[in-house]
Amino acid sequence: MRQLLKKMRFAKTNSGLLALLLALGAFGAGFIAYLILDRAFFVKKKVPAAYEYPIEQLAVIDPGLIVCRQVGSPIETGLQRASAVDVDAQGILYAAGDEKILVFSSSGRKEKEIILPAMPTALKTAEGLLYTALTERIELYSPQGEQLAVWANIPAALLTSIAVGREDVFAADALHKVVRRFDKQGNPLGLIGQKDAERGIEGFVVPSPYFDILIAPDGLLRVVNPGRQRVEAYTFDGHLEWHWGSPSMGIEGFCGCCNPVALAMLPDGTFVTAEKGLVRVKLYDDEGNLLGVVAGPRQLGWQAPIRVCEGPQDCQVRGLDVAADPQGRIYVLEQVRNTILVFEKIQ
Amino acid sequence: MEHQPSEFFSRRQFLKDGVWTVSAALGGAASALLAARSRRQGWLWQIDPYKCIACGRCATHCVLTESAVKCVHAFALCGYCDLCTGYFGPEPKALDTGAEHQLCPTGAIRRRFIEEPYFEFTIDESRCIGCGKCVVGCSAFGNGSLFLQVRQDRCLNCNECSIARVCPSRAFVRVPADQPYLLKDAAS
Repeated sequence: MRQLLKKMRFAKTNSGLLALLLALGAFGAGFIAYLILDRAFFVKKKVPAAYEYPIEQLAVIDPGLIVCRQVGSPIETGLQRASAVDVDAQGILYAAGDEKILVFSSSGRKEKEIILPAMPTALKTAEGLLYTALTERIELYSPQGEQLAVWANIPAALLTSIAVGREDVFAADALHKVVRRFDKQGNPLGLIGQKDAERGIEGFVVPSPYFDILIAPDGLLRVVNPGRQRVEAYTFDGHLEWHWGSPSMGIEGFCGCCNPVALAMLPDGTFVTAEKGLVRVKLYDDEGNLLGVVAGPRQLGWQAPIRVCEGPQDCQVRGLDVAADPQGRIYVLEQVRNTILVFEKIQ
Repeated sequence: MEHQPSEFFSRRQFLKDGVWTVSAALGGAASALLAARSRRQGWLWQIDPYKCIACGRCATHCVLTESAVKCVHAFALCGYCDLCTGYFGPEPKALDTGAEHQLCPTGAIRRRFIEEPYFEFTIDESRCIGCGKCVVGCSAFGNGSLFLQVRQDRCLNCNECSIARVCPSRAFVRVPADQPYLLKDAAS
């Protein structure tokens, strides 16, 4: 009996210790259960280098190659979806998008809006007229916004660029992968760029809706062949004369699957090219030699290879459009922020 | 007094109508039951392809040894490019199926010639680990036709998804079980 009382006293005096031991045991059991049940605990935390694609490294451009500087602040177009930019001989700037054409003064002040019946997909100013493509057709406007002509619809076409010559008008059709030739009244005269082994024409490859053309002072048409990463020179009759350009992530070539996306020409005959993806605007001579970089990814606001988008519309691939004025200034329409950046050569 | 059947409601007619009504009710109930049973209940994890930045964590942070996340291909968006930037590394020496030219660390993309100069690319899911390296290449330079999805036949549907916990762009979302995938399509 005495021993029992002694034991009870011992238990009473050490109840705190026992409680502590019990608590520690429960905690230990809980921790072990957590480790067993929560499999995330064992998950590897570091992403191996083999799973990463370090595109950021490719975005770095040797500063010594940059031959242009940005002039002034970017021109905010206010458009939700800007599609094209062009500039006339007087330096008046035009931006197309959101079912309208915006007219800016040479200082970048918005002067006028021309309302269109549909989303414009291309814009060209020539001979005091505005030629705009509305997916399947071309419409002509006066600078005051008066509609002058509507050319016939081309079924299932996607007209992404217009070039205007003395007697001809050309339109690049990204869906049919051809350049369409018209007279000044809009009558079709023929197609350029269809596959023709005898004439050595491999055909245009246009994986995304970027297919640009221009008429050079030498009287030849320059057509971007984005899927083959080159620029091709054609006569108005459709003879392929030569081509230049090569695929490369390096600065000397055109990066990705389908570049360049836009083409312009400076008064001295230098070509301005724009690339989407790893956005770059560069200068080339007519044999495809790189003359310098207008702006690289960092100058054009590129931040990451993939953007977090609000939805499908926001996430559509957006590129660049370029235009050049008679003074040699280069206008870059950046289609993510819908702004126009102006560059000029560093003297 | 002789019983005269009602002109409008005979016993035969009553039975006939009754059989039709009961049959229709049973048919309707069976259809409703089938529809209800075919509709899976609950919520599942999925990746919003428009928010995903293909950071690579789907490959390393899933509780499964081989991630439940796999690459899928929206063919309607694909350009069928010869120089596919989701298939080839940055500077391929040749546009062929040589392993040294491929971007995928496990060789999970198959390249098949269609016609000059177009190629079809398909995902070998048994090899895909969901790292998203090809998604980066395709989205950065191409049309973004390659993207990541949680394969519901593999996903354990953890209450707290360990990938969602570390997803930097909050691309992991809960979707109703009867709409388990968030696919890209050409219309969008």
